[in-house]
Amino acid sequence: MILRELQQRLRARSEYALRLAAMNDVGRRYPSSVSKPALPRVGVFWRWVFVPLFRRVPWSFKQQAMRTFKMTAAGWPADARRFGEPWRAPARPQPQPHEQVAEKASNSGR
Amino acid sequence: MSERLIVIGGGGAGTAAATIANRVNPDLHVTVFSEFPDIAYSPCGIPYAHGREIPEFKDLFLSTVQRYVDDGLDMRMETTVTDIDLDRRTVTARNAHEGFDKLIMCTGFVWEQPDVPGANLEGLHYVKDIRRAMEFDKELDAMKRAVVIGGMWLGVEMSGALARRGLQVDFIDDGPWLLSELVDPDVAEPAREALEKLGVNVRTGTRLLGFEGSGGRVRAVSTSAGELECDVAVICLHKLPNTKLAQEIGLKLGTIGAVVVDDHMRTSAPGVWAAGDVIEVPHGLSMLPIAGLTGSHAYAQGRVAGANAAGKDMAYDPVWIPWGFMAGDYTIGGFSIGETLAEAMGIPYVLAKGFGVSRARYFPGAARTHVKLLAEPGTLRLIGGQLHGGEGIKERCDFLAFVAKRGATLEDLAWMENIYSPPIGALFEPIQIAAQNGLAEHARTRANIPVPA
Repeated sequence: MILRELQQRLRARSEYALRLAAMNDVGRRYPSSVSKPALPRVGVFWRWVFVPLFRRVPWSFKQQAMRTFKMTAAGWPADARRFGEPWRAPARPQPQPHEQVAEKASNSGR
Repeated sequence: MSERLIVIGGGGAGTAAATIANRVNPDLHVTVFSEFPDIAYSPCGIPYAHGREIPEFKDLFLSTVQRYVDDGLDMRMETTVTDIDLDRRTVTARNAHEGFDKLIMCTGFVWEQPDVPGANLEGLHYVKDIRRAMEFDKELDAMKRAVVIGGMWLGVEMSGALARRGLQVDFIDDGPWLLSELVDPDVAEPAREALEKLGVNVRTGTRLLGFEGSGGRVRAVSTSAGELECDVAVICLHKLPNTKLAQEIGLKLGTIGAVVVDDHMRTSAPGVWAAGDVIEVPHGLSMLPIAGLTGSHAYAQGRVAGANAAGKDMAYDPVWIPWGFMAGDYTIGGFSIGETLAEAMGIPYVLAKGFGVSRARYFPGAARTHVKLLAEPGTLRLIGGQLHGGEGIKERCDFLAFVAKRGATLEDLAWMENIYSPPIGALFEPIQIAAQNGLAEHARTRANIPVPA
């Protein structure tokens, strides 16, 4: 329970800090479309320690770290059509016995 | 004796789950519990009924409860499940216990409520239940001013709809540009202009401070830009997963507080599935769990949960989230991530930008279509994008989300085939143009682009 709450808090705070920093940077590229945000600020640690550190770490390392800290989805096959893998047809399971019954019923005009 | 499946929730996920379970295994006794009196209506159409683009609310009803009963479902409308006992396999509703063999939780979402003074006043409206929306629609006739709060897509749709209805509308959002959590500033700008064209006063960078009341009813919204008088305040903040029951029975929740499911929509409890806004599913690019997606996602997840509960073996893919909506008369859309989110997550990308026309340029009604694509440096695989324009944005976003999921590259898109028929498609497809621009830019700057680690 405590671990889950910690994970939720960590994710919420880190995402918010990263989003604010990203809005600031991306906003500078489109100055005519941007106003000064009124969003609550983040703490000094998040803005000046966490964000710069996070940005220095390569994406592949960040992915690995997120997996290690169980921040990514569990119970989903990691090798199910990996990113960039050519398309393949989804596996078709064999019909179950009750489906065959349903099919017969459907064919008989039920 | 046949097995009994109980579905809690009569929204998109719940109705899909019940219908498919019943279809896959007609011997299964399927019961749906819903706290609402109606089923199979389109809540996403509500803003457009307020704006009179949809003439009548009854047009939003796609089916009736009786139709589901006729199909063999046991429908318990206006019946709230108050308790679940997983050991005894019973649910409690209206003080009666009902047994089940299998359970699907589709309890949906609740709106985030503003944590400011006056948030309990009358006259604060949340868009969800269609009956309440129909009452609200009648009240709108006597209203003159509305303040719409929150930078989510629904706020944009409601602002446009209420302006069409003739109300003076202030839209407030504390972000630096419209929809800054989702949309990049260059894509948000034309959406803002479209809303302003309808007469909406768009106030970005404006913070909600509280609600001012008179006689228990809201009369103004207090903001960092001053007080805005209103007859109603429409609140469109975040959708939060409604996990009250799930928590009570100890289902595992994830890093965003939604119910954790696997790719078969199985929860952490045996014999219990979940689908829709109450669950989190992984983003296809990062595998980070996300929640609060679209009605079509909820429906598809419900189908998977229903089929599996009825004995099938169906898997649901991580999502690439095609999205889109109208801001006034303008369409914006996208899939996966945009520049802002890529920057926030620290995902390296190259940009491919361009624009074309939706039909042959000489054909009446041709509209400019702007395309921005994000690709992985090195491989140039598509990882996200945002589009804006007139017709055809939705179809392009659907297409791009699908091909990104299948690993398409900028090279693939630059040489894609397209339909050329003057009334429906131009000689050059805007996606092609953007991809070709991106490749050309990439070739010019290749030496300076870092390859991802």
